[in-house]
Amino acid sequence: MALSNITLGQYYPTDSAVHKMDPRVKILLLIALIVAIFLAQSLLAFLPVAAYLLLAIRLSRVPVRMMIKSLKPLRLIIILTFLLNVFFLQGETPLVDLGFAVIKKEALLTAVHYSLRLVLLVLGSSLLTLTTPPIALTDGLERLLSPLRVIRFPAHEMAMMMSIALRFIPTLLEEADKIMKAQTARGADFESGNLIARAKAMVPLLVPLFVSAFRRAGDLAMAMEARCYHGGEGRTRLRVLKCEKRDYIACAVTALLIAAVVLAGLL
Amino acid sequence: MQVTLDHVTHTYQAGSPFQSVAIKDVSMTVREGEFLALIGHTGSGKSTLAQHINGLLKPTEGRVLLDGKDIHEKGFNKKEVRQKVGLVFQYPEHQLFEETVAKDVAFGPKNLGLSDGEIKERVREALAKVGLDPAAMEGRSPFELSGGQMRRVAMAGVLAMRPQILVLDEPAAGLDPQSREDMLQLIFGLHSQGTTVVMISHSMDDVARFATRAVVMAEGAIAMEGTPEEIFSHAEALEKMGLDVPSVCKLGMRLRELHVPCPEEMFREDQAFETLLKLWKGEDAHGAQ
Repeated sequence: MALSNITLGQYYPTDSAVHKMDPRVKILLLIALIVAIFLAQSLLAFLPVAAYLLLAIRLSRVPVRMMIKSLKPLRLIIILTFLLNVFFLQGETPLVDLGFAVIKKEALLTAVHYSLRLVLLVLGSSLLTLTTPPIALTDGLERLLSPLRVIRFPAHEMAMMMSIALRFIPTLLEEADKIMKAQTARGADFESGNLIARAKAMVPLLVPLFVSAFRRAGDLAMAMEARCYHGGEGRTRLRVLKCEKRDYIACAVTALLIAAVVLAGLL
Repeated sequence: MQVTLDHVTHTYQAGSPFQSVAIKDVSMTVREGEFLALIGHTGSGKSTLAQHINGLLKPTEGRVLLDGKDIHEKGFNKKEVRQKVGLVFQYPEHQLFEETVAKDVAFGPKNLGLSDGEIKERVREALAKVGLDPAAMEGRSPFELSGGQMRRVAMAGVLAMRPQILVLDEPAAGLDPQSREDMLQLIFGLHSQGTTVVMISHSMDDVARFATRAVVMAEGAIAMEGTPEEIFSHAEALEKMGLDVPSVCKLGMRLRELHVPCPEEMFREDQAFETLLKLWKGEDAHGAQ
């Protein structure tokens, strides 16, 4: 069935050092990496960024194939960025005359710069989601956002909602798959027909799915209450996040990266 | 009409790091008119196997034959398989969706493209078959019924397609004792009227009572196959697979341990009754001597 192909998030389990890093550190380092990418004003400055990313990918032992796959959904935007910049930017030094347009050297450089920036941004954030389970991510986010409690930002509730949503997506997918199969067994057809016919065909899937989602939500609320859940106040955690040596090393390497990028800009 | 699985292997999420082989090189035939029980531990591949019988799942390797014709071959009408082989999932009441019972039961026949009159007739017939009063039920919302009634409505939805083979995945799971017995009697009744039944069950007592043949699955392969008598005579092997024998078999084993003369081939309630009656009378006679 089509639904079984959907993998949630894109967590790719290996037991590398990158996987074992503190999710808070990983999120902060991703922000630092994004800053570095935007600081890089020349192609030369991209070299340290690319080297940094390659090293991180290598260390994570996530297959390159998976990394490339993460670029796929954005390929259209990347290609468009490149083409628009190449053809519509002004420049002085003509490079190639295609007949209908003249490609200028400056335009080409900017186009490469912008599309490379996009590629690096996507690769960087994919590395985070590929090496961090969704639950660890929300956990890290909660801790990072918790200082905002001062301005009454409900960090814990947000994180709890995200964890529950993430936790139940596979369950609901499984449920949807099962209902879809059950209706297919009764001769339902989810795959052919025009848009309206297909939308109508979703009713036998969506109604039972909503019914079961509400039932599950009710059960879950009951189970949480039964275990005296009352929000984040005073809660201890199962997995205490702790920075270790590898986290400090990663921070140091990232600081070096930013320095290198700034230096490359000065050259 | 019979369905044959020919060296069927099914792998979930093939090619991804999460791939898992659910069934491996399984060959078996569902014979016309039989009551076949599929037994196995959770995760042994019973449900996956069942979903191959009506073509919901496509084998990763191997073929599924309906009367000798490959159902996954190009040009084979899938709807024909779906009509001939009805599949009732576990907790089928979770797939109800229409406003009224009648509309829900009509979903299958409608998908077959039947005329309104024909559909109406089939809905009535199917509801009556599952022991619900069509006149009283048709207009009600399926969501206001009791659990047992909802399951009957869901069953009627499959029966309305008039399948020749009925595949049921634990049809009695989660029902109270009375509804459970009603459900089993209903299935047995359908079988006596000529429907071929394939039933997944965890209750060995039910298997012993109703099945004409049983297939035991373990780790994605067929571990044993035969009549319930044959299967349950291998109590130790079943236990190793994490499976049970009917409670009557256990009674027999306990009695034999105590050197009470009790026949090996006792695995149904009625047989136990006869044996115990004989023993009772025999002892009486013994005591009178």
